[in-house]
Amino acid sequence: MVAILEKRSLRDFDWLLALLAIGIVGFGTWQIHNAQPTEAYWQKQLIGLGIALVAMLTIAFTDYRKLVHFAPAFYIFGLILLMIVLVPGIGMKINGQRAWIKMPIIGQFQPSEFVKIPTVLMLARFFGRPRTSALTLREMVAGIFILALPVGLILLEPDSGQAITYFPLLAVVLFLSAIKMRFVLAAVILSVLLVPAAYIVGVKTGKIKNYQQERINVILDPDNADPRRYGYHTLQSIVTVGKGGLTGSRAPREFSQSSLKFLPEPHSDFIFAVTAENTGFLGCVLLLIAYAILLSRLITGARRAPDRTGMLVIMAIVGGFAFQLFINIGMALGMLPVIGVPLPLMSAGLSSVLATFIAIGFAISVQLRRFVN
Amino acid sequence: MKFEDDSQNLRVRLRVIQILIVLMLAVLGVRLYMLQIVKGGYYAERAENQRIRLLPIPAPRGAILDRTGKKVLVDSQSIYNVIISREDVKGGFDSLIEPLANGLNVDPEYLRERFKEIASQPAFESIRVKENANAQDISWVEAHTLEFPELRVEQQPQRRYPENGMLAHVLGYVGEISSEQLELPKFKSKGYKPGDIIGIEGIEAVYDDALRGRDGYRKVVVDSRGHIQEEIEKVEPQAGQDLVTTIDLDLQATAEEQLRNSPSKRGVIIAMDPNNGEILALASAPTFDPNLFSQRITSKEGRAEYAALLKDPRTPLYNRAIQGRYPPGSTWKIPMAVAGLQQGAISIDHSALVCGGGITIGNKFTRCMGNHGTPELRMAITKSCDGYFYRLGLKMTLNGIMQMVDEFDLNKRTGVDLPHELISWTPSQEFKARFNPRDPEWRDIDTVYASFGQVYDFVTPMALLRTIASIGVGGQMYIPHLMKEVREIAAVGDPDKPDYREARPAHGFDRTQPKVIPIPEDQHHFVVEGMWGVVNNGGTAGKIKMAGFDIAGKTGTAQVVGLGKDTGENKDHAWFVSFAPAYKPEISVLALIENVGFGGTHAAPAARALYDVYYRNTRHEDPPGALVAKK
Repeated sequence: MVAILEKRSLRDFDWLLALLAIGIVGFGTWQIHNAQPTEAYWQKQLIGLGIALVAMLTIAFTDYRKLVHFAPAFYIFGLILLMIVLVPGIGMKINGQRAWIKMPIIGQFQPSEFVKIPTVLMLARFFGRPRTSALTLREMVAGIFILALPVGLILLEPDSGQAITYFPLLAVVLFLSAIKMRFVLAAVILSVLLVPAAYIVGVKTGKIKNYQQERINVILDPDNADPRRYGYHTLQSIVTVGKGGLTGSRAPREFSQSSLKFLPEPHSDFIFAVTAENTGFLGCVLLLIAYAILLSRLITGARRAPDRTGMLVIMAIVGGFAFQLFINIGMALGMLPVIGVPLPLMSAGLSSVLATFIAIGFAISVQLRRFVN
Repeated sequence: MKFEDDSQNLRVRLRVIQILIVLMLAVLGVRLYMLQIVKGGYYAERAENQRIRLLPIPAPRGAILDRTGKKVLVDSQSIYNVIISREDVKGGFDSLIEPLANGLNVDPEYLRERFKEIASQPAFESIRVKENANAQDISWVEAHTLEFPELRVEQQPQRRYPENGMLAHVLGYVGEISSEQLELPKFKSKGYKPGDIIGIEGIEAVYDDALRGRDGYRKVVVDSRGHIQEEIEKVEPQAGQDLVTTIDLDLQATAEEQLRNSPSKRGVIIAMDPNNGEILALASAPTFDPNLFSQRITSKEGRAEYAALLKDPRTPLYNRAIQGRYPPGSTWKIPMAVAGLQQGAISIDHSALVCGGGITIGNKFTRCMGNHGTPELRMAITKSCDGYFYRLGLKMTLNGIMQMVDEFDLNKRTGVDLPHELISWTPSQEFKARFNPRDPEWRDIDTVYASFGQVYDFVTPMALLRTIASIGVGGQMYIPHLMKEVREIAAVGDPDKPDYREARPAHGFDRTQPKVIPIPEDQHHFVVEGMWGVVNNGGTAGKIKMAGFDIAGKTGTAQVVGLGKDTGENKDHAWFVSFAPAYKPEISVLALIENVGFGGTHAAPAARALYDVYYRNTRHEDPPGALVAKK
């Protein structure tokens, strides 16, 4: 049994997916080193990669259906972690957000990154049963409820950036669970209309504060925004990206935007800007292509999944991954306001790397079982 | 797909998600193309601009020295300024005004102006918020680096002028270039920038080009907080050229002391070498302290002090020597005498004219101070006979007087190397018309007034002295000047680099050619004899006679108001113009004391005090009759 499993596993294991992910982390580690050459972030990232690989392999060789079966337990455990993090003595406060738990060896860890996985499993378990009919309102409410608990707790931290990254998980699951197209259309039209309306109303009523307005104004018109105030981060990120040109900046590293502290959080939130400064348009496009291949590979895996549950697990992961990609790079390119969301596989941070590799582990696990029934 | 749900279009929906992802990546790719390829150069430059700063290294200004080239009149000493890098101010400037005004004891209004001014300048320029910071200010800046990381302390050379306002009108002062001046082509073309120190008045202004050093700079890389990370390039400053003046400190001190001790404490004394136009002393009283402008002008007290100077009715900021116009009174008789001989109105053999105790024109009698019979020219000068000169003027007519004015350049600037020199007012048909529009016609009575230095004559002391001095040396009209030599300064830097500062050569005053007035030797001698008599032959300044050092001179008493009202504040101005020794002049002295009365009583002794010093320094012995003159 073990021998058969091993042999088939080696054949069916998605080597390209795993190697691509490892490759991107390696590339990211180089950029982290560029961003903060004097700090130990890049070494920690490599240690994180080691831990993440072990976790990925463990998950990959475990039957995802067993794990989905226990999803409620993971989900409740995740909620408990999110509650614990809010307790002042245990949760660490960084930049006004109580989002981290201090751990003895690995330093600090961020439950909101990990709870995405039990949430995905819970959604997959609930919506994974074979469908014969369109999505009912009751199911939709249940889905919203599953999402609302962790999102609510994360908003208490408060970490609205992380909270936003949960929404695509549900959106993808609902979209693939025969939600009626008119709901989808209605949602798209409503958001097109409501988002600007909400902004205008928010400004009028004073609910959207000045600094928040300025963060949005700088995107609409970066050259005229006050570069010294809230537009500062966005503008500096644009300058850093633009400076990279076709093949990367030639200026000595001591004079880079991050070394001179013009670019904030260069190793985490703004790692893409650092990449752009160092490797230019070519490096960035290659990175985007690598992400495209990785995501396509995952979607292919979803198509071949043995059941709806497996398909939903992979696609929810794809949705969350792609959304974070867009939010983070969009922010670095000055198209979206500054939201503290890490770039998957690139940003320094053990929690993010580990959570992403666990997700990839699930995707591989689903694929490994595509012929088993 | 392993499971059946074609009814839900699952394949299509998966495809939709995949397409959305590709679209999203494409949008990011396009944006990257825009930022990095289309506008890459712009952002690279922007990144460069925000990390590169040019920090000026101020060049010391050249010193100003006395005529020996040994005694320093003005030099520069290091002071500390508190400056702000505009680029590093994160919030608005407005929030800085109050804390800085309180912390550094500066006028909030001054800061507001400063910040407004700088708004139009390049971002990497820095603003001086406090000049001449003391130890307390510097420690305040150091104690508040967390609150105001944009503040820096910078070292800068500052001008130090002599105490008690000595030579203030000659040396002038420096100040920061104004925004109006920056717009002028003369400054624009030479690359001046806000905050540059330039000469505003006096020699400092006229010889600014020579005195000014060429600033060096440090090109440094700063981080986002403005902290210097590395120096990329350094260009050393080139100091300004030293300037040797023609000023003789002993004469200058004496001149100022004479004015200070005069009853009205207002007036002018100028001493000049008639053989080349070098000004040995120039004092205008009251004076002011030029250090106000170079050191204190930015403080509240300094600005109040300046406002008070501007309002002072005694106009201490005016250089009376070139900006005061005074009726010359009887001193006017000297050029009149020369011109009368030249034009043939009188001759050496037939120079006698009636005094008559005055003259009647129409029904108006204009009197002379005495009755001198029918004096010849020399006696008329010695005794200052008005009646004589009324008649001489009538013989010369207005045209003759105007010709004289033209000959002695009395209707022009002397060309002295000081800024803002005024032109004297001299008799003419037009002047009368402007002066008295109700009776614009020029009449004989006007000629009478014009011929004895009243009503239509208002001359600057500098113009008058130049005239007298030129008569002393037989018609050589030199341009009075204060610059003797500008010294050489060596080149700085590497000749192959663009910021190489070439050596600047030494040079002297460049307008040394005199205007020559054709005065025949016998006529010259004849007039000088009259002037010699003023001091040495029982004339109006007989009490300042120096045996063995013959002064030739002429007193003058300029009416300020009508006769009979000339008391107190409205007393006449006292003049004395002179040169010595009479027949081989080495020095020419003019003294004007405002509102004190007779020239012979007040102005002549002041001039004598200078001759005493000159005699002592050149003859190395006590001057004859010194005690008499000292009073």
